[in-house]
Amino acid sequence: MYKNQHETTPNRKLTPMSAAEIVVAGLRKRYGATRALDGMSFTVRPGLVTGFLGPNGAGKSTTMRVILGLDAVDAGTALIEGKPYHSLRHPLNHVGSLLDAAALHPSRSARDHLLWLAHSQGLAARRVNQVIEQVGLTSAARRKAGGYSLGMRQRLGIAAALLGDPPIIMLDEPFNGMDPDGIIWMRGFLRSLAAQGRAVLVSSHLMSEVQDTADHLVVVGRGKAIADAGVADLIAAASGNRVALRTTAGTHAMRVLGHAGAAVAATGRDTITVSGLPADRIVTLLNQSAVPFSEVSAHRATLEDVYLELTRDAVEFRAATQSEVSR
Amino acid sequence: MRLALHAEWTKMRTVASPLWLLLGTVAATVALSAVATSVVNCTARGCGGDTTKLSLMGVYLGQAPVAILAVLVISGEYSSGMIRTTLTAMPRRATAFAAKAITLTGVVAVGGTVAVLGAVLAGRLILPDLGDQALSLADGPTLRAVFGTVLYLILIGLLSLGIATAVRDSATSIGIVLGLLYIFPIISGTISDPDWQRLLQQIAPMSAGLAIQATTDLHSLPLSPWAGLGVTAGWATAALLAGGLLLRVRDT
Repeated sequence: MYKNQHETTPNRKLTPMSAAEIVVAGLRKRYGATRALDGMSFTVRPGLVTGFLGPNGAGKSTTMRVILGLDAVDAGTALIEGKPYHSLRHPLNHVGSLLDAAALHPSRSARDHLLWLAHSQGLAARRVNQVIEQVGLTSAARRKAGGYSLGMRQRLGIAAALLGDPPIIMLDEPFNGMDPDGIIWMRGFLRSLAAQGRAVLVSSHLMSEVQDTADHLVVVGRGKAIADAGVADLIAAASGNRVALRTTAGTHAMRVLGHAGAAVAATGRDTITVSGLPADRIVTLLNQSAVPFSEVSAHRATLEDVYLELTRDAVEFRAATQSEVSR
Repeated sequence: MRLALHAEWTKMRTVASPLWLLLGTVAATVALSAVATSVVNCTARGCGGDTTKLSLMGVYLGQAPVAILAVLVISGEYSSGMIRTTLTAMPRRATAFAAKAITLTGVVAVGGTVAVLGAVLAGRLILPDLGDQALSLADGPTLRAVFGTVLYLILIGLLSLGIATAVRDSATSIGIVLGLLYIFPIISGTISDPDWQRLLQQIAPMSAGLAIQATTDLHSLPLSPWAGLGVTAGWATAALLAGGLLLRVRDT
């Protein structure tokens, strides 16, 4: 299901200098006693959707504001195609971003909002009509943006991000407030942007929102990246070479497999996870000892498991019962 | 800079409130001037005072919508968060700020000219025809008063823009600007010491700046017309510098 990074990376981007569209290196920032960013480093590559994941307060939005030159840092650099954002001549032709869909003048129409943005980059009004059509807002374009639903505002924000036809798209929590139709549309849209060779960075605090969309994940906690890897690699690393075994004779099975040198752990009322032995050897051993079992399968971690595992120590405010609730 | 100006002008013209506030300035200025000129006692020898200043009195009121317009130009963006979109599109903050100031100057110049000429016209129509004493733009001091009053409105706009950029909140900024304009005259009215009173009139942004409207008894003024407008310009410059510097160094 997840595409290999090298298959989706367009050939024109193969030279190392242009390989990464966004390079974030060692960002540090304090707000008083709070460390908002604590050595944040990662890269965003073309042709991929990079999921930027982490609990609320982990530093995702701050990092995005730093990339866009809105917030200053105490240390570190964030470069767009090798240059700091504020040195870009027509920045929207390099990076399209959506930080907050509600950041609109409520009595200005969607079309006029895009029009002033277009004028700021020297783009023609024709381009405004194109992006409006692209996000499906044509019929509402002349209405005041203040009357838009959150989903429509997200679409308008996406239109603004697309205005300069940029090679980099950066969206902060674009799924927030979207109805299921909108979420499906957004996923397809992000995939198509990456398929066109663009670098797409999408933040979310929920793994479920990006797990079917992202090729690459940057997981952050407490102001730094705690994982920066392809989705398939992350799952493989978390799964290990483990085998899940379903049996009603758990104690017996654990003893037999333990004697054979496997590490065994009970993971449920009638399930055991075994590592250190291949599945066929486990079946043979259990048959020899006449241990009944109903299922042997390769254990496969879900992204949700990976994410919860990674961010376990990084959640700033955790309710005591959250781990129970999330099961 | 050309692109930033184009963008700011598009912003200005695509919402209704700037136009309404400018119309408010015109209406308030002309209305108050009309009232002032119709209640004055005139005899065959004259109207016992500075009729030019009297005809331009409407800007006491007409400056308030200008101040509100100027505040909203930037504080409206802070309240919605749109300032981030603006600075993402125009990352050179000094350029973005200058584009706002220039666009504001342009619209206030147009609105202010209409308002001030309307007030002069109202004065001409209402005041009795005194022959050679009639209001005329061909008269040097009168032309200076009219032109200077438009400049005064522009300076009030820039002062308000600077304060709002520093303060970022609409209500607070409007409160500070209107307080700065209207509280000084109230204080100086309650002070009995003539030296202090004179000093207040020399440093207050409104009473100093509106010295530009005087056409008679110039030697009895606390300060000369152009020096007075210079004081207001000083206030505006200080506010723009403070606002511009804070915009450059602050996170948004």
